[in-house]
Amino acid sequence: MAVKIRLKRMGQKKAPFYRVIVADSRSPRDGRFIAEIGTYDPTKEPTVFTVNEEEAKKWLSNGAQPTETVNRLFKKAGIVK
Amino acid sequence: MKAEKERNGSGALPSASEKLAEVYELSMLYDFYGELLGDHKKQIFEDYILNDLSLAEIADNTGISRQGIHDIIKRCTKALRGYEDKLHLAEKFEGTKQLISEIRQISEEITQTKDVGRIGEVVARAERILQEL
Repeated sequence: MAVKIRLKRMGQKKAPFYRVIVADSRSPRDGRFIAEIGTYDPTKEPTVFTVNEEEAKKWLSNGAQPTETVNRLFKKAGIVK
Repeated sequence: MKAEKERNGSGALPSASEKLAEVYELSMLYDFYGELLGDHKKQIFEDYILNDLSLAEIADNTGISRQGIHDIIKRCTKALRGYEDKLHLAEKFEGTKQLISEIRQISEEITQTKDVGRIGEVVARAERILQEL
């Protein structure tokens, strides 16, 4: 079972807001997820990314795969190189 | 890395913040013009931009080839940007939002300082919003 770390769009129309979630790659559409480890608000200037670094590292070391977008956020936050 | 190259035919890879800015841009354009995409395309675009699924995952879920999904995303992106070029709804929205947040900021400052001389700054911004409607 592959576990992914991905963004999940929340927020109202025209006010996007994302949660960083850990989810099974096979249940992508039904919205179920294993854990929420952060948030990303691109409407702020500069954008605001908060993440539980400890949790993120734990999931990464357990083999969870971040999506390209999440990987970029992690890189910016210095969680991955 | 392969996916990045495919999405950016012009050569240079987008930086992390450019890529994230693109996700934001497309997600906003989708909010404005998404209803104009067909239902089928809408769902695929939604999975890609809003649910952050990879091309391969969407391909698996829909039974369409990865390349096929890639083409649909590209076409949707082009369509959404085309609508924006003609209608500028997202651009106007951002402009208005900016002016309103300035009005709020200045009003709060006036409340604190009682400097009513600055009311003109609020009025000027309100006028600009009215002109752009």
